[in-house]
Amino acid sequence: MFDTTGFWKDIFIFILVLVVVYTLLKIFVLKYFKNKDRAKSIGLNIALVIGIVYLFFRIFKVIDDNFPDFSTMFMMTNIVNQALQVSVLALATTGIVLIFKTSATTNFAQGMIATFGAFVAAKLIQYFTLNYTDLTVTNMVFLAMIGGAITAFLFGIFVDAVIIRNSKDKTPIGKQMITMGLVLVLAGAMPLIFGKILLPIPKMSYEPNIAFKLFGIDLFITVHAYYALIITVVLLVVLFSMLRFTKWGLGVRATASNELVAGMMGVNTKIITSMSWAIAGLLGAVAAVMLTPNATNVTVALMTPTQVNAFMAAILGSFSSFLGPLVATVLIPVLTGLLSLIVPLWQNAVVYLFILAIVLVKPMGLFGKKIAKKV
Amino acid sequence: MAPIINQIYANFLEKRINSAKTKTEFYDNYLPIKLQTLEEKLNRKIEIIRLKHKQKLLALEIPAGIESDYLKENYEAEIARLEEKFYWKQRVVKASAKRKGEEAATKLQELDKEKNIKASEIKNKYYPEVSTDAKSNYEINQPILIQSLNEKIDKLQDSHQEKVENFKNKTKKAVEKYQDINNNLSTKLHEITKDKVAKYSLEENVVLSLKSLSMHFGGLKAVDDLSFDVKEGEIFGLIGPNGAGKTTVFNCITRFYKPTYGDIYFKNIYGEVVYLNDKLVHNIIKEGIVRTFQNVEMVWELNVIDNLLVAAHTIYRSGFFGHLLNSRLLRQEEKVMRRKAMKILADLGISDYQYAYPYGLPYGILKKIELARTLMANPKLIILDEPAAGLNDAETADLAKVIKKIRDEYKATIFLVEHDMGLVMDICDTVCAISFGKKLAIGTPKEIQNSKVVQEAYLGGE
Amino acid sequence: MICRTEVCKDRKARIKQITNHPYFGFFIITFLMLIVQLLRAAGVPVSNTLVRAFGITMIYIIVALGFSILLGYAGLASLGTAGFVGIGTYILGYFTKNLEASVFIVILVSIVGAIVIGLIVGFISLRIEGMYLAIITLGLSEILNEVFKNAVSITNGTNGLGLDSQLILFKNLIFIDHNTIFIVTAIIMFFMMILTLNLIKSPTGRALLAMRNSTSAAQAMGVSILKYRLMAFIVSTVYAMLGGVIYMSYISFSIPTTWSLAFSLNILAAVIVGGSQSIYGIVLGTFMIFGLNLGVFQQFDFFKNNPAISVMFNGLLIILVIMFYPGGLIRLVTTTYYKLKKALAKLKTKWREYRYGSDN
Repeated sequence: MFDTTGFWKDIFIFILVLVVVYTLLKIFVLKYFKNKDRAKSIGLNIALVIGIVYLFFRIFKVIDDNFPDFSTMFMMTNIVNQALQVSVLALATTGIVLIFKTSATTNFAQGMIATFGAFVAAKLIQYFTLNYTDLTVTNMVFLAMIGGAITAFLFGIFVDAVIIRNSKDKTPIGKQMITMGLVLVLAGAMPLIFGKILLPIPKMSYEPNIAFKLFGIDLFITVHAYYALIITVVLLVVLFSMLRFTKWGLGVRATASNELVAGMMGVNTKIITSMSWAIAGLLGAVAAVMLTPNATNVTVALMTPTQVNAFMAAILGSFSSFLGPLVATVLIPVLTGLLSLIVPLWQNAVVYLFILAIVLVKPMGLFGKKIAKKV
Repeated sequence: MAPIINQIYANFLEKRINSAKTKTEFYDNYLPIKLQTLEEKLNRKIEIIRLKHKQKLLALEIPAGIESDYLKENYEAEIARLEEKFYWKQRVVKASAKRKGEEAATKLQELDKEKNIKASEIKNKYYPEVSTDAKSNYEINQPILIQSLNEKIDKLQDSHQEKVENFKNKTKKAVEKYQDINNNLSTKLHEITKDKVAKYSLEENVVLSLKSLSMHFGGLKAVDDLSFDVKEGEIFGLIGPNGAGKTTVFNCITRFYKPTYGDIYFKNIYGEVVYLNDKLVHNIIKEGIVRTFQNVEMVWELNVIDNLLVAAHTIYRSGFFGHLLNSRLLRQEEKVMRRKAMKILADLGISDYQYAYPYGLPYGILKKIELARTLMANPKLIILDEPAAGLNDAETADLAKVIKKIRDEYKATIFLVEHDMGLVMDICDTVCAISFGKKLAIGTPKEIQNSKVVQEAYLGGE
Repeated sequence: MICRTEVCKDRKARIKQITNHPYFGFFIITFLMLIVQLLRAAGVPVSNTLVRAFGITMIYIIVALGFSILLGYAGLASLGTAGFVGIGTYILGYFTKNLEASVFIVILVSIVGAIVIGLIVGFISLRIEGMYLAIITLGLSEILNEVFKNAVSITNGTNGLGLDSQLILFKNLIFIDHNTIFIVTAIIMFFMMILTLNLIKSPTGRALLAMRNSTSAAQAMGVSILKYRLMAFIVSTVYAMLGGVIYMSYISFSIPTTWSLAFSLNILAAVIVGGSQSIYGIVLGTFMIFGLNLGVFQQFDFFKNNPAISVMFNGLLIILVIMFYPGGLIRLVTTTYYKLKKALAKLKTKWREYRYGSDN
């Protein structure tokens, strides 16, 4: 399909060069720095950034070799096509990071709760189609999305307030297992509740694609993806503003830092954690509703690939911040999309390996901070 | 190139030598246990043979009318069993009569009659009509039996002696073999390193030496240019206000932190002076340094003895496959180690908690268990992290006694980090006071008490 | 039964010696597993599904044992089990079909492969703590799943790899009778349980527990975290790959969808529900998660038509156990056993009072 001669060789050579340069610098230059750890960390960051930038350039070169006249357009189109995936992933990842920071749990059930919301939304659409024929598709989908989001919101509260609160084992591992159990419960319950009838969710809009120009190139984006981007940006901006500027946000950050102490300082940690689960559910449900049209119908395994990617993004961007995972959220789908040109079928595996390599080098993720332990 | 290879070879030889030493220790420890087991087995076998002999003799004695002690014993035992059986039958009769509201007298009489019949049966069994044939039979066979018994016992004891000798020889040979290896390797090692002057040296009786130790966390100087020496066999106390850096100091010694600057020298259990900065944190215990933790770190899933055995981890010679297959060596080592653990627990007075699980035990007991744990690995230097924290006066006094006892019996040097001035002034031979990572003063407890610098740091200038 | 004579007491002591031996329980369990085969040999008509259920449960017990060493003793959460078992199946399939290698070579290759993979994942685990590790191993499992689906030349992709019930033993292609494999599996399971118990009770097991409770305390006592993490991963991966090899011998068919995240979660469920630190717990847990479904539920149409229900059941089990019985159901079983014993003792005293009257 695509002639990729020399790609892997170049990448390999580049990595080798990076490693050699980094090691040499470490041996000879490091002693001049007072704060060795910080110098190492900055150096590593620079190396990683250079590596990623080179990767993109090299991919561009492959495209250029194959389609010299259309290379820029090809690459840009490829990237823009990922807009929907980026939106969905951003919402899912934020949900996971939010729960992790406030209740120290890796929520494996994020995808399932989101799918639950999507099922409810699809049912609502069925209901609307039958009873409110004068609603436009866009309005129907938005209303259904809100309905699904509210359901997931309430379910999130239920999970935290009822299940986790009453559990004897409240260790992080225990809570993690509860989420794994939830995955199975929901995976089993949803087909039973919603039956075997197909439940489709249409796109948010079937209007013709929007054309725009970027760097002088003509690009297109579907209205669905466009709306998705807008919704995502709005939701995330609202969320981050709340985290930054409201009392609730302060409470979240306090609980995320140290739940026990925050509780003693008067923060109602119960409400905070339940709200986090609720908001994560809401974000997930919105993402699921946006994603379903690609597969036409809502299925149990709808959000599984997204969830795995969300974990990867959270690890890559480090759980300890909100911005880091977002950067990773853009990086991962774009990279996967581009790699599908180079190594079709194996692009997911390659991206996972790539993330694994970065995490081995920087265990706390791209933006992580090393926390020293006091014994 | 050559010196590097030599160094590697020297390290390898050292490891082999230490391993050989541990093996000889193991054999020395295992010998008494094995001998005890062998003796127990011998005694058991002798018991069984004697019993069989008595039974054979009994068969002869009864018709011959000889009333030996064993006969009387058996007779009385059977009568007792009979009495017991009928006692319970009586109880049944009485209880059922009570329930039904009847009279039990007749039934009880019947029971008594039955009992007497059976009793006389038994009597006849053990004291039958004596016949002269049986008597002569007895007189002929009795000495034969006794002779055969003595022969058997002698044979057993001979074979026991053989086994004991065998085992002793085996042990001696093994010990000699390892001593040979030890000597050979030591001479080889000496040859290689004879040109090299002893890498590091410490003063005569100094066992631990810190030279200009500094630990910086970013801009924070937790420890700043700290130097002191700890003498062998003394109780050394490190005091200072909170945040002075005491914990950081011994975390550096135990290699949990890697100091930013400075050297630490230690005379390990093999008498060799090592440079601790090179050592990995999990190898410190092999050099002979152990520590306790402020938050008692127990393995909650194991009982107290097993917790002690964890500390002896480095002494086990059986490897992964030995553990997987429950090899003989492992079983022997477990016996030796468990004995050692029980002895240590007895020394500290907490034998009662041997098989208990640490969950829920009183805090004072947990601290003692921690202390016991440190003794399992034959330590040279024991670092105690605020051992008196959370203890009342009586318990602290007890602790002082225990620490002194450990120093005397186990010949260990004690390094104490403590807030409780009473304990420190009571038992420490040398005290070093630090503040904000810097050394304030070092000397005997009295000197420290009188030191103006220390008083200022603790009490504010007066 | 009260013993009054020396002979009787002696015999009773000897029997107690055997029944109290730690391996005896395993013998009983293996024997119970083999009952289906004995019934079959005796002519009782036993359905194939039931026998299969026992067979697969035994294989999953082996996998779960390895997983419990990792989770229950070393405290490391790994979701890569599915991938490793899958690799085991494909190694047997590929080596037998394409390379015509004997089973013993396959086992050797599996062990070597498991050591390599265990080393890799172990090293990774040193850089990444707790929850991150679960996610990374999840990623690894996904990668492996992609490999299974895409490396069609080795694994025959999504169509699955079939073995036609053949294995190569001593250079001969033999047709294996499923019942023979069943018995062999039972024997292997027996030995695996023994080996696992040995490991748990040994200094290695104690070192793992120490490491799990506190890495700093463990290091201070001489336990090298590197060495023991690697060891835990290698051991559990060896168990998983061997399980895969046995699976392929028994089922003779392997398809990528089996080795999915759901499988890893089910093994995790089996270990958690049963009791992650007890071998009997593992057996119990595996039965509840896999055995019940395969052996009991599948017999009823209701469950066959709604496969989602057993999935939900497993999920509910996990949640309930974590919420109310964090030590696993085996702890519930043992406490109930002791309560029963106590109640029985009380009954006994009451009966004695009735029969013999109160002591006057």
